[in-house]
Amino acid sequence: MSTKNTDIVLSASEQRERRKQILYKILPVVSILLLVALWIAASGGESSSFPSPMDVYDRFLRFMEKPIQKLSLWQHILASLKRVLIALLASWVLGISFGILIGWNKKANALLGPIFTAIRVVPPLAWIPLITIWFGTGEFPKILVVFLGAVMPVVVNTQAGMSNIDQQYLDVGRIFNANKRQMLLDFAIPSALDAIFAGVRTSASAAWMVVLAAEMLGGKSGVGFLITRGMDSGDLPLVLLSMICIGIIGAILAISMQLIERGVCPWTAKKSN
Amino acid sequence: MDGKKVKLSLEHISQSYVLNNRAFDAVQDINFDVYDSEFLVLLGPGYCGKTVLLNIISGLEEPVDGTVRLDGEVVKGSDPRIGMVFQKTSLLPWKTVMENVEVGPKMAGVAKEERRKTAQKYIDLVGLQGFEKSYPTQLSGGMKQRVGIARAYTNSPEILLMDEPFGALDAQTRYSMEEEIQKIWQSEKRTIIFVTNNIEEAVYLGDRIVLLTNRPAHVKAIYDIDLPRPRDTVSPEFLRIRKEISDNTDLAL
Amino acid sequence: MSEQFVHDPEYKVEVRNLTKNFGELKVLNDISFNIKKGEFICVVGPTGCGKTTFLNLLTRIIQPSAGDLYIDGEPADPTKHNLAFVFQEPSAIPWKTVEENLRFGLEIKKLPEDEIKSRVENIIRLLGLEEFRNSYPHQLSMSTAQRVIIGRGFAMSPDLLLMDEPYSQMDIKLRFYLEDEVIRLWKELGSTVVFITHNIEEATYLAERILILSNKPTTIKEEVHVDLPHPRDVTSPDFIKIRKYVTDQIKWW
Repeated sequence: MSTKNTDIVLSASEQRERRKQILYKILPVVSILLLVALWIAASGGESSSFPSPMDVYDRFLRFMEKPIQKLSLWQHILASLKRVLIALLASWVLGISFGILIGWNKKANALLGPIFTAIRVVPPLAWIPLITIWFGTGEFPKILVVFLGAVMPVVVNTQAGMSNIDQQYLDVGRIFNANKRQMLLDFAIPSALDAIFAGVRTSASAAWMVVLAAEMLGGKSGVGFLITRGMDSGDLPLVLLSMICIGIIGAILAISMQLIERGVCPWTAKKSN
Repeated sequence: MDGKKVKLSLEHISQSYVLNNRAFDAVQDINFDVYDSEFLVLLGPGYCGKTVLLNIISGLEEPVDGTVRLDGEVVKGSDPRIGMVFQKTSLLPWKTVMENVEVGPKMAGVAKEERRKTAQKYIDLVGLQGFEKSYPTQLSGGMKQRVGIARAYTNSPEILLMDEPFGALDAQTRYSMEEEIQKIWQSEKRTIIFVTNNIEEAVYLGDRIVLLTNRPAHVKAIYDIDLPRPRDTVSPEFLRIRKEISDNTDLAL
Repeated sequence: MSEQFVHDPEYKVEVRNLTKNFGELKVLNDISFNIKKGEFICVVGPTGCGKTTFLNLLTRIIQPSAGDLYIDGEPADPTKHNLAFVFQEPSAIPWKTVEENLRFGLEIKKLPEDEIKSRVENIIRLLGLEEFRNSYPHQLSMSTAQRVIIGRGFAMSPDLLLMDEPYSQMDIKLRFYLEDEVIRLWKELGSTVVFITHNIEEATYLAERILILSNKPTTIKEEVHVDLPHPRDVTSPDFIKIRKYVTDQIKWW
C-alpha cells in the first residue's frame, strides 16, 4: 500500500486522543517522583528517625566497603534467593504432583484432601517453633518453612485447575478414544496449566515473604537478617536499604515467573501481526 | 431411496435428565435410519435436544432407553468409527494446528510420520497449508472450524457428526464454509449427520432433513431434498422448500 | 483536509469524508453519506471490511483522522445528542427488571415521570412484553432479551438508533418474526435507524436504502434503494434481484 506522508497527519480530535495517552504514560512517573519528594521532605531535619534518600545511598556505599557478618550486600541477597529457589523448586515438583493427584483422582482426594486442608489453614510461620526444636536453626529448617509457605498455593491452584477442567476438552479426548494416561497427559494437565501457573506465581511471592520473616527470626545472613540487624543497632538507613532491595527483588521474581509461563505456554502469546 | 444401504439406525431413543429434583425429557422415542454416504441434517429449534442426540450417537452420553446400531451392531460407548466436529470447535489451545489435527491417530498409537502424512492431507483439503504451526488463538473463527473438520477426517471415521459447526460464524463466512463442507463431502464421501437450527443451511446441505420438534424432541417430519448441487439459495424451488419447512417449525421466542 | 462542512437541513445525520488511519494503515477512506429523519438504512460489507472501525467511529469510541459525523448540522456528541445502540449480544442490565431496563435510559435523560410511563407502556404493548415486565434478564431467552434492548433503544426516541447485527444468532423463523417487529416499531415511532448486518437477505428485507461497503480501505462502494412495500416477499423476483445484486457486490467466497 502506498501511503504518502500526508495520509498520517493526525486530525485535531486524534491529537487530543494522543495527548491523553501520553498523559497516561507520564502520570506514573510523576507519582513516583512525588513519592521521593515526599520522602525527602518528610526526612528533612532530624535524619536519625527517618533517613533521607541520600542517607540510604550513603549507607549503600558504606556497605560496599564494609561487609556485615563478613558478607557483602550481594551475598546477603544471594543467601535469601538461594533459600527461596530451593524451596520453590521443591514446592513446584511436590505441590504440582500432589495437586494433580488429589484434583484428578477422587479416591485420593477423599483420603488425603482433609489432611491437606487441615495443614493448609496453619500459617507457615506458626511452624517455626516446632521446626526449630526438631531441626535446629541451620539452613534446612529455614528452607522447610519457606517450602511450607510456597507449596500451599501450588497445591490449592493445581487441585482447583484439575477438578474444573472445561468439559469440552475431555469430550475431545473421549471422542478420539484417549486411554487413561493420554487423557491425563494430553488433555487434563495442559488445560489446567493456567491454574497451575497461577499457583506458581503466588508461590514465588509467598516464598519471598516467608523467607524474610524466617531470616528475621534467626540466622546470620540474608536480607531479613539485615533488617533485624539494622533495627537492633538503630541503623535505620540499613533498614530502608534492605526494604528497597526487597521491593526490587520481589518485582524481579514476579517478572521472571511471567517469563517462565510464556516460555512453557507459548500458545497464550497474543495474536501477532 | 430403496436401493440405499442403512448405515446407522436409531431405535426408540429417549433421554431425560433430573434438574433441581425434577425430571424432564430431552428427547422422546426417536427413530430414523441414516443411509450410507448420505448427508443427513438434523434440524430443530434452539435447545431442542439435537446436541443430546448427537452425544448419544457418539457415545458421550448413554440414553435411558433405546439403541443405536452401526452396520446392524449395537454401539456401546465411544466408537472410533464415529467422528465428531464440535460446536465450539473445541480445539486444544495448547496444541498447534498440526498437533490438533493428528490427535486421533496419535491416541491410537499411529507412528508420527504416518499420522502427519494423513493430517497434512486433510489440512491441505480444508485449505490451511501454511498454518500447521499456528496456535488456535491465532486463527479466525472460520479457520478454527476448518481445523476441527480436518481433525475429524484425519481419524478416518465412517460417520461424521457435526454439531452446529458454523453457528458462531458471521453470515458470509457461514456461506463460504457451507460451500466448503459440501465440496469436502463430495470429494471424500462419508456419512455425515449435521445438526443445525438454520433452515437455509439445512436445505443447502442436506440429502435429507430430519425435522425435530421443540423439547421433548421427537421427529416431526423427514424431507427428501432432490435439488442439484451446488444449490442456489435464491432459486424459487429452494425458497419454496425453505418456506415449507419454516412454516412447519415451531417459533421459539 | 476536507472543505468546510455545510449543513443541509433535509438531512438528520450527515457523514462527511469520514477517514481513519491506524499509523500507516488506512482502514476507512473518505466515507460520506446522508440520512433523512426517519429513514431506515442497512449497511452491509464483506467479512473483514472495516465494520468495527466504522461502528467505533459512529459510537465515538475512537476519533476520526479526518471528516466527521454530524447530527442536525452539529458534530455528533454523545453528551448532547441522543444516540442509542443495540449490539450483537443482548446488553440488558442484569440487576434490573425488564420494566426497569426500559425506564433506565429515560430516567437518565431526566424525562418527566408521566412521559417515561407512557413511553415504556407503549413499548411493552408494541413488543407484547407484558408477561415479562417483572422478570430479570437472565430469566429471558436470548431473543426476548434482545427485544428488550431494541425496545429500550426505540423508547429513547433517539436522534440515531444504531443496531449492529442484533439478529445474527437467530434462526430464520425467529429472524423474520423479529425483523417484522423492528419494522413495526420503526413505523410506529419514526426513528432514524442504521442497521449493520452481514446477512444480505436481512438487509434487503428491512432497508429503504442499503449502503454497500468495500474491502479495506473501506469506502462506500454503492448505495442501493429498495423501493418495495413492507412486509416484503422474500420469494418475489424483485426482491431476489436486489438480494442477488447486493450479494454479487460483496461476494468474496
